Amino acid sequence: MNNTMPALAERASVVADRFEPLFWYIMAWTSAGTILVTLVLAYFCIRYRRAKGETIATPRILGSHRLELFWTITPLFVFLSFYAWGVWIYDGVVTPPADAPEIQIIGKQWMWKAQYEGGQRVIIGGNPGNMTEEDRAHIGALVLPLGKPVKVTFISEDVIHDFGVPAFRQKVDVVPGRYVTTWYHPTKLGEFHVFCDQYCGTWHSLMVGKIKVVPPDEFEQFIQGKGGAQGSGNSVDGSLAQKGWQHFQRLQCQSCHTPNAAAGTNLHPRAPSLEGLYGRTVPIKGGGSVVADEAYIRESIVNPGAKIVEGWERVMPGNYESQVTEEELTQLVAYIRFLKAGGMFAPNDRAPAPFGAPRLTLPTTPSGSPGGSKP
Amino acid sequence: MSIVIADEPRTAALPPPEPVTPARNYLNTSYGVWSWLLTVDHKRIGLLYLVSMSIFFVVGGAAAGLVRINLLQPDGAILTEDQYNRMFTAHGVVMLFLFLIPSIPALFGNFFVPMMIGAKDLAFPKLNLASWYVYMIGAGFMVYAVLAGGIDTGWTLYPPYSSRYSHTNVFPGAFGAFITGFSSIMTGLNIMVTIHKMRCPGMTWGRLPLFIWAMYATSFIQLLGTPVVAITLVLLLVERVAGVGIFDPAIGGDPVLYQHLFWFYSHPAVYIMIVPGMGVISEIITCFSRKNVFGYKAIAWSSVGIAVVGFLVWAHHMYVAGISYYSALLFSFLTMLVAVPSAIKVFNWLSTLYRGSITFHAPMLFVLAFLVLFTVGGVTGLFLATLGTDIHLHDTYFVVAHFHFVMVGGMVLAYLAGLHYWWPKMTGRMYSDFWSKASATIIFVGFFLTFVPQFVLGYHGMPRRYPNYPAEFQIYNVLSTAGASILGLGYLLPGFYLTLSLFFGEKASANPWSATGLEWASPSPPTTFNFDSTPVVVCGPYEYSIGVDQLGRGLPEPPDSGNNPSYKETEVVH
Repeated sequence: MNNTMPALAERASVVADRFEPLFWYIMAWTSAGTILVTLVLAYFCIRYRRAKGETIATPRILGSHRLELFWTITPLFVFLSFYAWGVWIYDGVVTPPADAPEIQIIGKQWMWKAQYEGGQRVIIGGNPGNMTEEDRAHIGALVLPLGKPVKVTFISEDVIHDFGVPAFRQKVDVVPGRYVTTWYHPTKLGEFHVFCDQYCGTWHSLMVGKIKVVPPDEFEQFIQGKGGAQGSGNSVDGSLAQKGWQHFQRLQCQSCHTPNAAAGTNLHPRAPSLEGLYGRTVPIKGGGSVVADEAYIRESIVNPGAKIVEGWERVMPGNYESQVTEEELTQLVAYIRFLKAGGMFAPNDRAPAPFGAPRLTLPTTPSGSPGGSKP
Repeated sequence: MSIVIADEPRTAALPPPEPVTPARNYLNTSYGVWSWLLTVDHKRIGLLYLVSMSIFFVVGGAAAGLVRINLLQPDGAILTEDQYNRMFTAHGVVMLFLFLIPSIPALFGNFFVPMMIGAKDLAFPKLNLASWYVYMIGAGFMVYAVLAGGIDTGWTLYPPYSSRYSHTNVFPGAFGAFITGFSSIMTGLNIMVTIHKMRCPGMTWGRLPLFIWAMYATSFIQLLGTPVVAITLVLLLVERVAGVGIFDPAIGGDPVLYQHLFWFYSHPAVYIMIVPGMGVISEIITCFSRKNVFGYKAIAWSSVGIAVVGFLVWAHHMYVAGISYYSALLFSFLTMLVAVPSAIKVFNWLSTLYRGSITFHAPMLFVLAFLVLFTVGGVTGLFLATLGTDIHLHDTYFVVAHFHFVMVGGMVLAYLAGLHYWWPKMTGRMYSDFWSKASATIIFVGFFLTFVPQFVLGYHGMPRRYPNYPAEFQIYNVLSTAGASILGLGYLLPGFYLTLSLFFGEKASANPWSATGLEWASPSPPTTFNFDSTPVVVCGPYEYSIGVDQLGRGLPEPPDSGNNPSYKETEVVH
């Protein structure tokens, strides 16, 4: 490891290139101000010091409105220039481009679990003694492409963490129960520190790892499961959405969320169809509507009673927290996101629930009057 | 730029004769433990606070020392991770709740607010005594929490870590903070009512010393802010003890809600800490430059402005915590506004020195150090107020260095300045001139060496609360620890020479600095009821150029101006 630090911190992203001029702009103003105050202070202290025995004769100066006005307005305008420039950078950080590849990162005491769209899974940092065997096999660096934006969505499965990358000059709190999105645009090849910046318990200071920025073609190889960027532990065994579909089957979601009547029966679906749901505006029972984004889909799985779709009754059990991990939730959300019209089939004998799936005891309602009615 | 110079004829008022030292003062009027523990004298209660706060300052400082020693090695020199986490939490909790928040209001506010406005005592003397007991009970819970295994949440107690995950003594610690809050409310209420109702004849709002204005603004924040943190801590404990989902999303809560509630108090609380310090600076800088304060109204109203706008900036601690885009924009803007009154104060203090007649005794040296360190602390806050730079600097050592510059370089130095300024009045003794100046110089140098490297570390991204760090950060951590050892020495010195002055110090005259405030009109140490007869104020607080105090009497010769009968260079006490 390199044991010296350059005077200027390493820059490796577009945001870092924007951060530095503003940082040094503020530094120039504030240093000038501080030096001015110090010099004036020193000058007055020397010029107006009282020698021993000297008689005291000081003028009775009470103040000056014009000076007060001057040193109220001047700093205010200087400060507002910091503000405006800072807002411009912030705006760039919070608005990800539309078509960037996505990475899902879950914070956990004390590691980061990253999942790519293609299903690659990387564990960043953490204390190996506290990991499962499978997690240990996935320890590596977060691979990002050089010169291409990447969108990253974070959530925590326990306490608040913070994903900080000094070389990118970016930081985002990773909060349990909600998705937070940011994006990175790396501009330099190499490995860079990732720190957890929000205190999270005993091994907070070991929740550190690396980001590895690779050339775009190498990233492409990695995404397609060909590259060796992460060593052996990252064989692709299905995309995120594919894994989500497996959970969908295991949890028997399709027995209610079916697009049409089950084959050979006249049972109507008990819950709204999820085909093409993502991005749609959904009317909510009791008035109002909500855009079906990741946060809404996640909430509807974890807390089904929170927002019921207009025209339906709640029949979904609320105990999924105990059956789905945060990582699996991410995969389920990915599946539902990519579920287009016609992408689902009704449950039938040829697609029984997998072994080990929970047995849902649905009310055996007479035909024609299910728990919900399709509007 | 025109400067208003009022050319009034100099009154040749004679200084009052040095009052005969009364046989009985507030210190020797009665003896015995109970005469102190059941006292309702605001001065004695102030000393009770002084003793207890000094002990907690040493405890908090020792914890900081262990933290800094541990950071000498990238993997922790002496402590395990768990011990380190408990240690920085102990440092934060003790220093903030038990030292910084009560410091100036509870010591100098208690002791000098009645004296400076010509009153016999605070409005509610028994409430005042109760506030000390409440403070000690709260402190007892916190000390128990620290001794019985410690707390590892950081002083900010963010849930869900603090409410559902930490296995340490969160309950007694947070409950202690909850209790000490009431002490703060009691003191604030007492001081506010006293300033409103107990000013002596002639003490109009425009003639109040600026320390009183600062204390008024502080009381306003204490009264409005502290109840919010009290209820926040209760909600936290309800979630921790009863499992009611308030902040943890896994049981239906919202973790960011806690941060809003917590900072709604805790940001104004940094003004509870610094605004009284600003009041102390205004008192001392005028006295040691023999000048009227420059821009009395600007300084007075900027205190009030800070108190009001300070309530509207809390979410600048949360730019990256998942608040909405527009609230980040709004809070960054408001934070820029609150930076202005502090800048105004610095410029006014500087201008006060213009054409003064400046001497450099220990209180003034602390004030000069304050001005430099507070300016650095203030301007580095701008990096954190700006959205584009805070998204990198947030939660790094840059933040640590910034708030230590304001809280320690600012507040603790103002506290020490006040302590050295008013020590002769409080105890009737002068301390060593040489050693006090040495202490001020050592603290200033040690402070810079400790915290400037931390700015560099923060810029390079070293996170807070890290016992383990990458090896390239080591050199700056070693520098910082070296500075901290100098700083620690500087803090120990006053403990020695101030204590020794009680026994060997020269007896102080009633007005050893030749200051204009009413507190100097009573003997040193004061009698129990401060004044023999109710004083009548005839002029503003800082008429040094005319040379009269607030009662219109002439001033004694200040130290270092010819032959001064009442002041002698103190013998160096070894």
